[in-house]
Amino acid sequence: MAMKAVVEVYRLTKTFGSVRAVDSVSFFVRRGEIFGILGPNGAGKTTTLRITIGIIPPDEGEAYILGYNVHKEPIKARMFIGVVPEISNPYPDLTIWDNLMLVGKLYCLPKRVLVERARNLLEALRIQDVRNRKAKALSKGMRRRLLLAMALISDPDILFLDEPTSGLDVISARIIRSLLLELKKQGKTIVLSTHNINEAGMLCDRVAIMNKGRIIASGTPEELKIKFGKYIRILLRFNKEVGIDVIKNKVRNGNVVVQGAKVMIICGLSDLENVLNEIADFIKSHNLEVEEFQASGPTLEDVFVELIQGDGQ
Amino acid sequence: MTFLSIKNTLSKIFALCLKDAKLYYFKGPTVVMGILMPMFLWLAFSIGAGYSLVKTLPMLIAISAFFASSSITPIIMPWETRQRTLEMLLSRPVTIYTILLGTALASTLFGILISLGLVCISLLLNLTPQNPLLLFLGVAISSLCYSFMGLLFAAIPTDVPADVVFLSSAIRLPLVFVSGVFIPLQKLPYYILPLAYSSPLTYLSDLLRSIYYGTSFLNPLLDLAILSFLTVMFAFSTLITNKATLLKRL
Repeated sequence: MAMKAVVEVYRLTKTFGSVRAVDSVSFFVRRGEIFGILGPNGAGKTTTLRITIGIIPPDEGEAYILGYNVHKEPIKARMFIGVVPEISNPYPDLTIWDNLMLVGKLYCLPKRVLVERARNLLEALRIQDVRNRKAKALSKGMRRRLLLAMALISDPDILFLDEPTSGLDVISARIIRSLLLELKKQGKTIVLSTHNINEAGMLCDRVAIMNKGRIIASGTPEELKIKFGKYIRILLRFNKEVGIDVIKNKVRNGNVVVQGAKVMIICGLSDLENVLNEIADFIKSHNLEVEEFQASGPTLEDVFVELIQGDGQ
Repeated sequence: MTFLSIKNTLSKIFALCLKDAKLYYFKGPTVVMGILMPMFLWLAFSIGAGYSLVKTLPMLIAISAFFASSSITPIIMPWETRQRTLEMLLSRPVTIYTILLGTALASTLFGILISLGLVCISLLLNLTPQNPLLLFLGVAISSLCYSFMGLLFAAIPTDVPADVVFLSSAIRLPLVFVSGVFIPLQKLPYYILPLAYSSPLTYLSDLLRSIYYGTSFLNPLLDLAILSFLTVMFAFSTLITNKATLLKRL
């Protein structure tokens, strides 16, 4: 490990009835990185996070935050973290301001510090104008921003977010994402769970992909693309329209989609050389000119789908 | 435990107490259960039995302390489970014990406030307590005792407040009728006495009879000692049972 791990999770296992929700999950998170836990619904992401922050105990395994065992020393561990759980709410009958003050007092913050931080956070999250509005009168996006403000009021070293932008409008989601990137610049460590692969690709330094309670792959998005990516996309724009049957006859090693003069070919990495040769033959035999050419490797979403399908879902 | 950690824990308990006071103790149902219901019970008894309302005012103080302190505490945990605010609190540096103590403190203060309000009214009506210190101690300790008793019902791991209200009412109402509030312990049939001793309200009502009329069944200090013992017992039972059922709420 180049940098010190601030979150360490060892062989967490949790069973609800006959369902093994988390199955021997281990990971670590380095200081200052954004670590994403990805997975389809029901993969065990939320349970993993809830165990990691000490809300529920594991059947087996241990979790440490900054060296504190979260189940043996939960208060010490939680002093350093901020949490935005998926299944929790601010007090609906308290105002935004009162919700923030309450949480700040639970961290025993001096009043002057608390007030100053609350003002800055409300401004950063663009909810300062509605600070006297009760939480029950807020939109989902604003409520989520309030929860984020509540998580940040103690200026935590590590932030845990469960599906931070799930179900939010584009503006609220962007505000939250840009704040997370800003926090990363300030050196904060962020652990987030999401099923939004694009979001994880945008934000995360490293990800762990979970399915059926297990981590089936982990690494940087680039590492995962290289290790598990199997397909490549080739985009071509010719000087004239081409018929799909005509090109399909020539390019046999890839899936072809044609829209006017534009052609997209998806092929396996192992077939790339053959496909390129077939394209070259096609261009020559039909006397075409290529006006645009793009080739792109697998996306994180491709890798995710590949891994989940490969895992039997 | 260091001085600083005790100070921090107390400050968290106080913050949670203020939250509960703000959210739960200035609401319609609270007023109904804490003030109006005891008042109607007292009016029905006093008028029905032909007693002077002023003379039976101490009984209203006892019933009000009982209802004000024990009516809201059972529903706070189910309500917070339902609102999903409990998990929000538990993800902060607080334990379930801190949350429960904050709730108990809020309802104790509410019980004391309501009772002392009635004491002030009784003073205006020239009904003077013979021992104000004992009166305050009795009201304060019994309010704390009834708060923890109410919180014991909150250990039922449900997010439907009505479930808990049903059970707590089914137990608390009989406790009022066997407590000696309406009929002094001296006049209770001997076979009811064991039941009367099982009601925590008995000791406050007996204490108030001593403070206002000088005619108690037990020694007032014994009343106070038993109330203190019950407080400790309810406090431990509440903390243990609520902790034991917490996971079923999450």
